[in-house]
Order: sequence, then C-alpha cells, then structure tokens
Amino acid sequence: MSAHQHAEGLMSHEPEKVTMEGRNKILGFWLFLGAETVLFGTLFSAFVALRHNVGDGPKASELFELPTVFAATMILLFSSLMSVFAVQAMHRHQVKAMIGWLVATVVLGLGFLGLEITEFTTYVSEGHKMNTSAFSSSFYTLVGFHGAHVAFGVLWITLLILQILKKGLTVVTAPKIYVSAIYWHFIDVVWVFIFTVVYLMGKVAA
Amino acid sequence: MAAHAANAAHAHHGHKVKRYKGLMDWLTTVDHKKIGILYLLAGGLFFGVGGLEALLIRIQLIKPMNDFVGADTFNELITMHGTTMIFLGAMPMLFALMNAVIPLQIGARDVAFPFLNALGFWTFFFGGVLLNISWFAGNVPDAGWTSYVPLASPTYNSGHGVDYYVIGLQIAGIGTLLGGVNFMATIINMRAPGMSFMRMPMFTWTIFITSALIVFAFPVLTVGLVALMFDRLFQANFFETGSGGSAVLWEHVFWVFGHPEVYILILPAFGVISEVVSTFSRKRLFGYSSMVFATVLIAFLGFMVWAHHMFTTGLGPVANALFSIATMLIAVPTGVKIFNWLFTLWGGSIRFTTSSMFAIGFIPTFVMGGVTGVMLAVAPADYQYHDSYFVVAHFHYVIVGGLIFGIFAGLFYWWPKMFGRMLNEGLGKLTFWTFFAGFHLTFFVQHFLGLMGMPRRVWTYLPGQDFDTMNVISTIGAFLMGVGVIVFLINIFVTAAKPRNAKADAWEDGRSLEWSIPSPPPEYNFKQLPLVRNYDAWWRVKMDGQAEMPAAEPPGPIHMPSPSIMPLIMSIGLFIGGFGFMYDKLYLAIGGIGITLVCMLLRSVFDDHGFHIEEDEQEKGVHA
Amino acid sequence: MSDNHSSVSEGQSRHHKVEGPRKHIVAFVMSLALTLIAFAAVASGEINTQFTYIILVCMAIMQVFVQLAFWMHMKDRGHAFPIIGIAFGVIVVFTMVIMASYWVWW
Repeated sequence: MSAHQHAEGLMSHEPEKVTMEGRNKILGFWLFLGAETVLFGTLFSAFVALRHNVGDGPKASELFELPTVFAATMILLFSSLMSVFAVQAMHRHQVKAMIGWLVATVVLGLGFLGLEITEFTTYVSEGHKMNTSAFSSSFYTLVGFHGAHVAFGVLWITLLILQILKKGLTVVTAPKIYVSAIYWHFIDVVWVFIFTVVYLMGKVAA
Repeated sequence: MAAHAANAAHAHHGHKVKRYKGLMDWLTTVDHKKIGILYLLAGGLFFGVGGLEALLIRIQLIKPMNDFVGADTFNELITMHGTTMIFLGAMPMLFALMNAVIPLQIGARDVAFPFLNALGFWTFFFGGVLLNISWFAGNVPDAGWTSYVPLASPTYNSGHGVDYYVIGLQIAGIGTLLGGVNFMATIINMRAPGMSFMRMPMFTWTIFITSALIVFAFPVLTVGLVALMFDRLFQANFFETGSGGSAVLWEHVFWVFGHPEVYILILPAFGVISEVVSTFSRKRLFGYSSMVFATVLIAFLGFMVWAHHMFTTGLGPVANALFSIATMLIAVPTGVKIFNWLFTLWGGSIRFTTSSMFAIGFIPTFVMGGVTGVMLAVAPADYQYHDSYFVVAHFHYVIVGGLIFGIFAGLFYWWPKMFGRMLNEGLGKLTFWTFFAGFHLTFFVQHFLGLMGMPRRVWTYLPGQDFDTMNVISTIGAFLMGVGVIVFLINIFVTAAKPRNAKADAWEDGRSLEWSIPSPPPEYNFKQLPLVRNYDAWWRVKMDGQAEMPAAEPPGPIHMPSPSIMPLIMSIGLFIGGFGFMYDKLYLAIGGIGITLVCMLLRSVFDDHGFHIEEDEQEKGVHA
Repeated sequence: MSDNHSSVSEGQSRHHKVEGPRKHIVAFVMSLALTLIAFAAVASGEINTQFTYIILVCMAIMQVFVQLAFWMHMKDRGHAFPIIGIAFGVIVVFTMVIMASYWVWW
C-alpha cells in the first residue's frame, strides 16, 4: 500500500473526499439523486392520479396488510442505520467493522426484497395483477421501481464488500462506499413516502 | 498484504496504458474534444435525415390534393421529423459545442466523468439508430413527436411503430441524462483557480443551467416512456381510459418534460449568441449579471408553464389563466437578454463574420418567435391558433430561427478551435444568406396559413382556400434552406483540404480561456492550469500586454484517463436489449441488458489508473 | 493497508472530530418514533380520514428531513449543491403532485 501514490490520503478523516475523482463522484451522485427524486416523484404523481381507479380489481384497503408493510419498513430503517455505522467505521479506518456493517445492510436488504416478493405473489393470487386496473399498474410500477432500486443496491454493496476485501480501504474505494451509503439512505427516504402515500393512505381511504 | 503490494506496483506503472490509433481511437476515446466531434458527426447525420424528411413533407404540401406520399407515410414523416430533429439533431449538436468548449472555457483538463461522457454519446447514438431502423423495419412511429394517447396506445396503434419511439428515446434519454449530470459536476467542481461563478463565460452559464434542466426534466420523460411501454408491452392501464387510466396524464407528463426541453434547446443558443456578439463587437457583454439572472429565471419559470400546451384540453379557466400569466412572465427575462445583446452591439466595432451574421440574424428572428409565443400564451386566442400552421410557424421561429441559427453561429465561431482550420468565409456567408432567406420564406407565410385555418399534421388540403400560393412559397423556401446546408457541407470539405493553420486566438478578439491555448488544443488542454482574475480573463490579459495566461501551478506530469471500449459495448447491449423488449424475445432482452450490467461490473472492479503525460512529451505537443 | 498506516490514521483521527454514533442513534430513534406514530394513526382506526392524512404527511416530511440531515450528511458543510439539487427536484415533484391530484384525479 505504501507505494500507492495517494497513500497519504488515507490519513484523512474523510478518505472519500481526498481526491478530485472522489469529490466529483460524490457531487455527481447527488445530482443523480436529484434526477431520481424527480423520477420517483413522477411515479408518485401517476399513482396519486390513478389510485382510485380500481375497476373490477381489489381496492387498496382490501389488499394491504399493515403488519407486512410495518415489517418491511422496520427492516429498511434498520438497514439504513447499519449503513450509517459502516460509513462511521470507514471514517475511523476500522475496515473489519465496516465490512460487518455492510454485510448487515445487505442481509436486511435481502430480507426486504424477500418480503416484497411474497407480498406481490399474494396480491397476484388475489387477482391484483399488472393489467387488472389503472391502480394496479401504477402500484406495481411505483413499488416495483423501488424494489428494483433495492435489488440493485444489494448487488452493488455486495460487489463493494468483495472489492474492499481484495483492495482494502483506499482513496479509490472509499468514495464508492460513501456514495453507496447515500444511495441506500435515499432508497429508505423513498420508502418513507411509499409506506405513507401508498399503504397507509390507501388503508385509510374509504 | 502481498495482494496489496502487487496492486500498488500495478498502480505505479499505471501510466503504461495501451493507446489506440485510427478508428479504434475514436471508438475508445474519452477525450471531451473527440467526443464533441463525434456528437457533431452523429448529430449532423441525424439532422440531415430530419432535413430530408422535412423536404418530403414540403414536397407533399406544394399543391392541393397532392399524392406524392400517402397519408400514412405523411404521419410517419412528421413524427420522425419532429422526434429526430429535437432529440437526435439539435440536442447532440448542442452537446457537440458543450463538449468542445466547456472544459476549455472553465480552464479544465477534462470533464468530471470522461468515461460517462463517452457512454452518454454512445447511448444517444444507438438510441437514435434504433429509432431510425424503424424505417427499414416497416413499422414507423406515426403518433406525432408528442405521441399522444390514445392515438399511441396499443388499441389504436397496434404495430411496432410507437415501440421504436418509446425504446429509442428511452436509450437516447439515458445518454442525455448522463451528459447533464456530467456537465453540472464539471462546471461546479472543475473550474480553474480564481474562476468564481460570476467570472464564468456566458456560454458556460447557459450550459450549466441547461444541464440542470436536463437533470430535472429527463426523468419525467423516462417515467412517461416507461408507462407507455408497460401499456404497450405488458397490457398495463396507465393511459387506457377503459380500465381507469387517464389520457390527460400522458399530456401532463409529456409536457412537464417537454416544456423544459424547449429551454434545454434554446438556452445554449442564448449562450452562443452572447459569446459571438460580445467577441465580434469587441466589447464586454452588456449586463452580464442581469444575463445570468435572466437565464436562471427562464429556467425556473420553464418548469411552471407546461400546461400552456394544453389550453384546449379543458383544465378550466383558473388553470388556463394562471399558466397564461406564467407564460407571459417568461417574456420579461427573455426581453432582458434581447436588449443586452442590442446594447452590446451598440457602439461596438462590429465585425461581420459569418458567425456574427448568424448571431445578428438570430436577434430579430427570435423576437418574432417570441412575440407569436406571447400571442399563443393568451389562452382564449389559443383556441383559435391551436393545431394550426400558426403554431408550426411559431415553434420553427424559435427552434430554427433561435437554436439552429445559434448552432451555426457557434460552429463557425468555434470551428477553428475544434479542428484547427478556419471555415471559408465566402461560402459561409452564402450559407447564411440562403439559409436565412430560405427560413423566412418557409415559415413566415405559415403564420398566415395558420390564421386562415390550415390545420397542422394533415397530409393535404383542398384547392380554392387561398392556401396554394403560400404553400408553394413555403416549399421553395425549404429548398433554399437545403441549399444553405449543402453549401455548408461543401465548406467543410473545402476547409478539410486546407492546411491546419488556425491561430490560438483564431478571431484575434477572443475573450475567454479557450482562445488562450492552441487550435486544436493538445490532449491535456492546459499545460498549466490558468489563474483567472476576472471576467473575460483572456481579453484582460491581452489588454495588459501579456501573451499567455498566468499559470496557477508549476509544470509537471499530467494525469489522463485511459481510453475504453466499454461505453460502446454497454450501448450495444442496451440496443440489443431494446429489440428484445420490442419483439418479445426474452433471451435478447436479458442478454442485452446482461452485457451492459457485466460491463458495469468490470468497470467497478478494475480501477482505471489512467496514465501520465510527462513533461518531455508535452513539449512534443500531443494533438487531439 | 499496513499496520503502520492504520496506527498513524488512528492517531490522526483523534485530532479530528470524528462524529460518534450517538446522534445517528438519536436520528434513528426519531425516525422510528415518526414511523410508529404514522402506523398507529392508521391502525387505531379512531381518527377521521382527513386528519389521518395530515398526520401521515407531516410524519413523512419530518422523517425525510431527519434522514437527509443526519444520515445523508446534508447538515454538514460543503453540501450547498446537494441541497439545491434535491430542493429543486422537490419543487418539480411538488408541482407534479399538485397537477396529478388536482387535474387528473378529479
């Protein structure tokens, strides 16, 4: 490691911001999240516009099971906390602890995905399919987009864990960890709106 | 630890990167200057295709009850003309200027993400190719460039035509979004020492704001296209009114994207005009800070006015009134800009180069487009103008008379910086006069055709409605514009045969940093990053009698990113995947997306250490 | 990473103010509480629909602020552009949701 040209950067408290590449990556990723905000916002708009148009299919209040949603919410919230701890461990250069927290993040992310897949299969068996109604189409697209983001995050963070094991914590790998943590929190933030707007409001609506 | 040592050793010799020559060099390049040229080539190609489509439309409309093309073909032509010109012609040519100029103007060695820059180009290119393959597949999109439902829905459009539109634009849109993120990050993070935001050239400012618009507007289109794609491919019900969907939702989603898109197109043209007018008046741009403010205001208001495209949809009087007023408000910052250009010209020692002629021709032309825009913003009057040739005349005045004039001005202005050769001025002026006259001939009469009641998007018209003469004039004008473009192409070939001898400060009156380095610049742009002390930095340095920008750093080896073939392969993956989705071939869809994902994986796993250009190599002058 | 280096960095980090887990746990507890209030408001079934909506939206917005500020480091220095970026995105989303709930829904 000592031969590495940027090795001195590792002494920094925030190794992700040592290089220009790292700072660019973080800024660029934030801008990308701005775009993602609009992307999910548009999906939410479509859902809000179409949510009462259930046709012959089941209504939101008949469909949703609060305990499942609550479990999924808790899993994702804990997962987000794990990822905070991972970044903190990174700032203290505790690589092993960081990997531990990241593994916990991924495991919880997988748990969330498992729960969502079970949920979707149940709905389909209850006659709530993609082509049932405008409500079902916008529901599966919105929640499915979020699920796809979780799945991508799980794969990405897993890949980063493997990279850290091989390359160690460097000024090249640190920005990746930092950015993936921001991504993971963002997914949790989107979920806050999903459980609020889709599930809880759907449950309340007559 | 052994693995780390090996890794470190590898990193140390990272500068021995394979460098390609010839075609492979262009396919693997991550150099913003070369990517700019690629954008120009591809954008020019699609611009030519769109132009041919326009000529076919005009031939069909030259006389009443013409049967040159059938009604179906006419629908396909207008759809593909609009889509091609906006997404594949105009925007890529803007990206060409952005890539060629922005890093030079802010005194940077490259953009923030060179790899993503290349990826953005290739996804745009393959998206465009996919869209245009529809002509050969015999299934051409024919629901208009706005692709309104239910016309574009599977019920009324059962072929694969609209699928090409949806998937082609989706892939091209990824490229545009990447470009937007990249240029925002570049302008925020990579400015030369001393270049504060209020010292940035006006073109950089407009590109910064345009990139922001791209970042916030394109995801809306992405979602709209996804919804339409799900409706068409998976029988979803977003826009199927029979199953509870909403056709008006598509209109909203499309225009929430579509109106900012108009400003994505025109703001860079404003930037080009600001640079050109200031340079060839040999004066500082009048009202620089008000210019910046006006740009930001236009961009902000641009998001708040989309429903003026939908006055006749029936949103109700309150909504129509609000959007009407918001739209008229945009005239204020735009007027500020027009007057600033006029005051910059006022009292300047003006040089009439081709570039400045396009810029000066732009001003009255764009004002006319703006005035008809305010007319259209009056909601009750819009009920009369709606879907008539008046609208066609209006948006061609702002897009051709605004954006395309701006692009021509920019191309003539920066051609020496991009290619090291000055375009021929005589041929250039011929281009200007034929294009300018042809443009006004084509579209001025269309205002009156519209007011007399000629509807747009209809393939022919009956005789005896006083439409005949004006349509002939319009068609003649279109061919005159075609002549102008051909003269421009001849100009390019004539120029390419000349020696590469453009000076660094090619127009001698350059004001911003790009004119302080050789034409074309070396691969690394700046041997030493310049130190910027004021707005119009290079002009001020020249006025102080110095020959070079002061340096902000000592000379030393320069770190460069390595070339990569992966952006091309990733885009081909998306291209293949697109066909898989369209024709229901699951293995193609998975295989195509798989190629892209594997490339992303490889890119993440194998670090790009880049290479260094040592000082002795810099002396040799490695040219782009 | 050699042992030598990590020891140096440990020493360095003592000079820097490395943030402890405490405020992140506080943020977590706040998020947890806000989530619980939202679910409880719905699960109890005793509050009228209109008022539940208001509670739900308030809880969601507060939770987002908590997470953006603490977990996504938005309250830290040097985050002007991320804030502008997200804020502008939110403005666009806001107009769109108004659009969707007002013109399309009714």
